[in-house]
Amino acid sequence: MPLIAARDLTKHYGDVHALDGLTLDVEPGIIGFVGANGAGKTTFLRILLGLLRPTSGTAAVLGFDVGTQAVEVRKLVGYMPEHDCLPLDVSGTDFVSHMGQMSGLPFSAARERAAEMLRHVGLYEERYRLIGSYSTGMKQRVKLAQALVHDPRLLLLDEPTNGLDPAGRDEMLELVERTGRAFGIALLLTSHLLGEIERVCDSLIAIDAGKLQYAGAVSAFTDRMQRLVLELDDDVPQFAEQLRARGLEVESSALRLHVTLRGDETYDTIRDVAADLGAPLARMEVARHKLEELFR
Amino acid sequence: MTSTIYDLGYQRYSGARFGRMHAVKTLFIFSFRGAFGLGRGERSRLIPLLVLVLVFLPAVVQIGVASAAGMINLISYANYLEFTAGLLALFVAAQAPELLVTDKSNGTLALYLSRPIRASDYAWAKLGALAAALLLLTLGPQLMLFVGRVLIQAEPWTAFMAEWTKLFPILAGTLLVSTYFASIALAISSFANKRAFASAGVIAFFLLTPAISAMVRVIATGDLRRYAILLNPVNLVTGFSKWLFDVESARRSTVARVDLPGETYLFVVLATCVIGALVLLARYRKNEV
Repeated sequence: MPLIAARDLTKHYGDVHALDGLTLDVEPGIIGFVGANGAGKTTFLRILLGLLRPTSGTAAVLGFDVGTQAVEVRKLVGYMPEHDCLPLDVSGTDFVSHMGQMSGLPFSAARERAAEMLRHVGLYEERYRLIGSYSTGMKQRVKLAQALVHDPRLLLLDEPTNGLDPAGRDEMLELVERTGRAFGIALLLTSHLLGEIERVCDSLIAIDAGKLQYAGAVSAFTDRMQRLVLELDDDVPQFAEQLRARGLEVESSALRLHVTLRGDETYDTIRDVAADLGAPLARMEVARHKLEELFR
Repeated sequence: MTSTIYDLGYQRYSGARFGRMHAVKTLFIFSFRGAFGLGRGERSRLIPLLVLVLVFLPAVVQIGVASAAGMINLISYANYLEFTAGLLALFVAAQAPELLVTDKSNGTLALYLSRPIRASDYAWAKLGALAAALLLLTLGPQLMLFVGRVLIQAEPWTAFMAEWTKLFPILAGTLLVSTYFASIALAISSFANKRAFASAGVIAFFLLTPAISAMVRVIATGDLRRYAILLNPVNLVTGFSKWLFDVESARRSTVARVDLPGETYLFVVLATCVIGALVLLARYRKNEV
């Protein structure tokens, strides 16, 4: 049984097609879900939680239909929304244990697990303070803790690093990865940053404009994304032509060329062509396609 | 954040897991406590505590006076709600938005709806919690009055036997009036996205309805003139209580002058409870899939 099974899932908001015939099976693991902002990621998560009715198509989570068995789905799923979602005048520990009870745990078990989860995400004495006094990073940890408190079988994390500084991002990603690897909780995390997904995920789903672009191993996807940026001191029109003639994908604009990287031979080819033409190659660096560019 | 994360181990949970009813009960208790600012920051306890003290004050004074100076009736069951109606309005204007609107403005509603409940369960739990909080403020003082009246007598048992039938109208009256205030305030709050707007809306309701009622009574003639007092929450609660305890209203009072059939008050209170609850439910049911 796949973790998540979507069949021809479509969601229209008026003329906007947030999801457009999405069909996919997700197997357990740490799964990255990428797409540009507005690509339909949040819509997909909300449909999985039974919070949004698809225009057409069906979806099942852990074997439960999201349309008719949403309550069952929500017992077994933990959800961390992208936006702010914490009350400010309640302490971290009170809130997380309240959410544990809301998910079905008895009072004492919820309190115990709230303490454990807050420790797991790195909050100690601070957990007795009101959430309103927390930093962004601490709030983000509480959001993760409330999603974990009932020991879900699947965690849905919507842009968990949003709003964090680089160090905070690193810590959050590390935490997410540890949660998925060491404890074996299946995890679907969305991001508009491919680098983050690459760091923690085994497999990846990419969507654009509500359509599936890619589903599979992360490595196979990122290989497609590598490219070289070349800068010339002088315009040498033949340079790009020669590169193309040798089978490379090149986009050029005056002094700047973008070459899709296909292993080490690409470097050799560029070296040879530059030498042949005497092209003044000033700079060469590996860059990454932006997600948006990929889908053009 | 510069702190490092030390992990002492994640534990799987294999204990009991309950369903919808447990979640609704949890939300009810959490919101009931929240209505009095319990489990919240200090400032959120100010108004609830103030109201709590003030609604019990007449009962305390009455018992004190009666035990010191004999059977003087400053306040009775029948006019207790009328006395405290303003305080109840203040309470719901402050706490209905606290219960309902903060979940929206903080985004917490999204977390609740991702739990094993339906959106209408959420609305019911909030209505129940606010009505229960109000019941503490309405039934509590009247029970205190009841106990006090019985205990200060020379023969408490005889006094109890003479007084105990009053418990039914006490219970019915406080229950309905609590639900009346709760459903109005929550229905209004369900339209606001900011706490201040919700509070302003609830206050406006309790200030404008008496004004409109008075205006209609000036302009209109005949029966409309009489029935217009039903728009005024204080008159409504007064008429309802007098009918419930089968007590004559003070001769020159508004309620006595319009002389409406007692059942009219009951009907309007009930209808308001139902309409308020339906509006609240409809506002949340749109979140249901």
